[in-house]
Amino acid sequence: MRKNIQIHNQKFQLHPLGGLFWEEKSLLLISDVHLGKVSHFRKFGAAVPRKAIHKNFLLLDKIVSDFQPFQICFLGDLFHSSLNKEWELFENWVGKTPAEILLVAGNHDIIAPEKFEKLKISIFPELVIDSFLLTHHPEEREGYFTFCGHIHPSIKLKGFGRERIKLPCFFKSNNQMILPAFGQFTGTHSLDPKDSDEVFAIVEDSILKV
Amino acid sequence: MNQKNLFNIAENWFQEQDWKPFPFQKESWNAFLEGKHGLLNAPTGSGKTYALWFPIVLNYIKNNPDYKTKHKKGLKAIWITPLRALSQEIKQSAERITQDLETQMTVGIRTGDTSAKERAKMRTNMPDLLITTPESLQLLLSSKDYKKTFKNCSAIVVDEWHELLGTKRGVQMELGLSRLKTICKDLRIWGISATIGNLEQAREVLLGPTSPELENSVLVKANLNKKITVKSIIPKEMETFPWRGHLGLHLLDQVVPIVNNSKTTLLFTNTRSQCEIWFQKILEKYPEFAGEMAMHHGSINKETRLWVEQAIRNESLKAVVCTSSLDLGVDFAPVETVIQIGGPKGVARFLQRAGRSGHRPGKESVIYFLPTHAIELVEASAMQKAVLNSAVEDRIPYLNSFDVLIQYLTTLAVSNGFFPDEIYPEIKQTFCYQTLTEEQWQWLLNFLVMGSQSLKSYDEYKKVEVEEDGKFKVNSRAVAMRHRFQIGTIVGDATISVRYQKGGYIGSIEEYFISKLSAGDVFTFAGRNLEFIRIKGMAAHVRNSSKRTNKVPSWMGGRLSFSAKMSELLRQELYTAELEFDQQSEEIQALQPMFSKQREESLVPQPHQFLIETFKTRDGYHHMFYPFEGRAIHEGMSSLLAYRISLLTPITCSLAFNDYGFELLSDREINIQEILDNNLFTPEYMLSDLQKSLNSNEMARRKFRDIAVISGMVFTGYPEKGVKMKHLQSSSELLFDVFRDFEDDNLLYQQAFTETFEHQLEEGRLRLALERIAEQEIVWKKCTQPTPLSFPIITDRLREKLSNEKLADRIQRMINKLTK
Repeated sequence: MRKNIQIHNQKFQLHPLGGLFWEEKSLLLISDVHLGKVSHFRKFGAAVPRKAIHKNFLLLDKIVSDFQPFQICFLGDLFHSSLNKEWELFENWVGKTPAEILLVAGNHDIIAPEKFEKLKISIFPELVIDSFLLTHHPEEREGYFTFCGHIHPSIKLKGFGRERIKLPCFFKSNNQMILPAFGQFTGTHSLDPKDSDEVFAIVEDSILKV
Repeated sequence: MNQKNLFNIAENWFQEQDWKPFPFQKESWNAFLEGKHGLLNAPTGSGKTYALWFPIVLNYIKNNPDYKTKHKKGLKAIWITPLRALSQEIKQSAERITQDLETQMTVGIRTGDTSAKERAKMRTNMPDLLITTPESLQLLLSSKDYKKTFKNCSAIVVDEWHELLGTKRGVQMELGLSRLKTICKDLRIWGISATIGNLEQAREVLLGPTSPELENSVLVKANLNKKITVKSIIPKEMETFPWRGHLGLHLLDQVVPIVNNSKTTLLFTNTRSQCEIWFQKILEKYPEFAGEMAMHHGSINKETRLWVEQAIRNESLKAVVCTSSLDLGVDFAPVETVIQIGGPKGVARFLQRAGRSGHRPGKESVIYFLPTHAIELVEASAMQKAVLNSAVEDRIPYLNSFDVLIQYLTTLAVSNGFFPDEIYPEIKQTFCYQTLTEEQWQWLLNFLVMGSQSLKSYDEYKKVEVEEDGKFKVNSRAVAMRHRFQIGTIVGDATISVRYQKGGYIGSIEEYFISKLSAGDVFTFAGRNLEFIRIKGMAAHVRNSSKRTNKVPSWMGGRLSFSAKMSELLRQELYTAELEFDQQSEEIQALQPMFSKQREESLVPQPHQFLIETFKTRDGYHHMFYPFEGRAIHEGMSSLLAYRISLLTPITCSLAFNDYGFELLSDREINIQEILDNNLFTPEYMLSDLQKSLNSNEMARRKFRDIAVISGMVFTGYPEKGVKMKHLQSSSELLFDVFRDFEDDNLLYQQAFTETFEHQLEEGRLRLALERIAEQEIVWKKCTQPTPLSFPIITDRLREKLSNEKLADRIQRMINKLTK
């Protein structure tokens, strides 16, 4: 179950897998996939289950087939580490994915740009499209609405009977939306919303506004 | 030299000191010199070190008759101590013997505190007698050519074995011993243990259940009957004594006369934060103690601790507020009185602490029990009976700890490498792995080499490699280095050191506490008020402050549970509430006001009754159950019951428990009648229900954290090098989920559940408890407000959660509540 919202008169859909789709531009935004993390751990002798590697690609396939976008823009931390064999799996995925792929580089993206260029992926430090700014680190800039990642936001909810729950979320303030981490083997950081903030929590396969 | 001559040497030495050897000491010398292995049951301060250092030295004399002129180099004996703080003391007593007997033997210490330079020196030149910790022994096994080092070692003594037994460090010790048995030509294995319930088993675990060593061993008991007097500190005004709490400060004024009347008093607290607070409060109210009082706990820097220990011996201190850091070792003759603040949660521990006082032969030990809340008076009274009957707990040894085995095998692979066919039989002889199957063994080997059970071309997993001749070996220096840092099985919370800006080290605190402070906040630590400045690397910088504060760091103290015996005594004690006044103990008499309050809406249960209370507060609907079986059993029972209720109707609840009972707290009312009608306390299908209930809560997840670290799946970072432990925390959490989703047949993942059953929930006792409830009459009291019995439980913030409702439903309710 997706959630539709409007920002600056443009239509966006929030997907429970953690991606955001800009209808007018047919652009899919995805942040913090951290590909290669499982392989990275294994290379250093930490036996994280190998099957977890494939999960990220399966989820990417799913969200791409749900929206069929013209373009996919990764908002940084696409690859977790230096080059490892998971790159080959990524190459395969890029090969079979029809959309054009862009990358706004994040702090984890240390793989040489040439490797991306070979796959026809363009890299940007940031992107401006109309009145929207696409970055990895959160940043508020006058006149723009920012989409970013980096934080891996989550929200803590409290209920009667001392109930507590933590959920990954899309975290929207007046001029900025922080996307949740798309990657499977990643943690979250919980944020405290102010009254003016809007929080869209991912609850299993739906999006709930909190 | 024959046995008699050797004995003469020892007895002469004792005569020179004006001492006479105890029978147990002679018995140990004898057995040792006859080549026997054994377990010595003797308390701290009884001369146990002389019981074993002596035969070790005598054995050397026997084999080297010209010992006074010629020195045969090389390691002769290893003394294992669980606490490195004790190693100095042990060294001194060893040196006394080696020097007085004019041997040229050398004594050395090797622990985590030993400098790299000294360690390097030891590599080429080992002392004759080595004092070390279980972890450091493992490190020795990870060095090249360790076989040569140990070849001529004739004895290994494991001191305070009761402290290691029942922990994974004990398992680590079992594995180390299994290797030494093979590589040492003529080895005697000895353990020293305080009194525990399962001494015979302790010997079996030390030596191996089917081993020739066990066959050729003895159990030596010191049997020093010591008189222990337990007195309760009973509040003068019971009406104002709190129903809950864990500090006990209400009784501070009654403590002071006790301290004044005795030469030196030790005040034992259960946690380090409690220790800090008591120290602070006594000085605030009785400033005249300044200079005569000190504090001792594990987070204070070593120099200060050593100073305090020395000051106790010099009789220059009137009182010391301390934690379990003063439980072991170190003989403090001047201590006359011990005060235990709050329930010690264990008879063995209580006895050990009592034994801290009146150390001189023939003197009685006096221990005061200071209750921190009303119901603890019942515990105080029960504890007196327990001491009278020496109702001491068992220490349950671990079985099939795959994580420790993985760590050990990696250790061997890091040193010279190992051949599985050679190691497997050694491991099968240990207590821990006696039931290890060939399949499990193969699984572990695969895991070491491939990080899984099959090979895939894209996988770059790298740790242990199999060489052409079939040897398992670590060839990467980086892997070896990381592994050496990781050796050790105690997984504490991440700690951060506290320093002044100019570098003075004050102590260490859990990172969790520091992470909640912001610059300028003032907190109390090591008896000082400190202002937090910033975090730099793995250190928190502070400066002294004159501001008052109530922030005291909290440390996660182990929450121990009552044993079956102690729970039984506790129930018996509580049942006396219905007796005539003059037949009651003074503790129970003092509780009269609380019992009357309890009876207003509910009752004080009798042997044939099982009490359930329900009431509502602004926290939610409370459902209280009182089996009086000890914390561990209540943890399991609450989880089981919540699971069974969830089969009737979807619920979400949080669980809290203490030694008296447990609570299910929910945002909606649970129908107790339905629980009774459906017979939800039945022992039938207990195991499978319990198993299912575990899947829905956090217990196994927490166990997994330690397993992931010990088995090397999560790297904790280099010490003091700024790799924050937060990283470890979140990644072991994530790991657990990944295993659940992708590899739930992994032995390490499954171990988390087995450990929860066997070590946390004590499945066997739980069944007995349920059978007892089945025979009781169930009394359900609907109350309008919390009762005194319920109070300590409902105010506990450390809770388990359980839910089988749809997540979306729960969240919708939370959102509705927010927007109401």
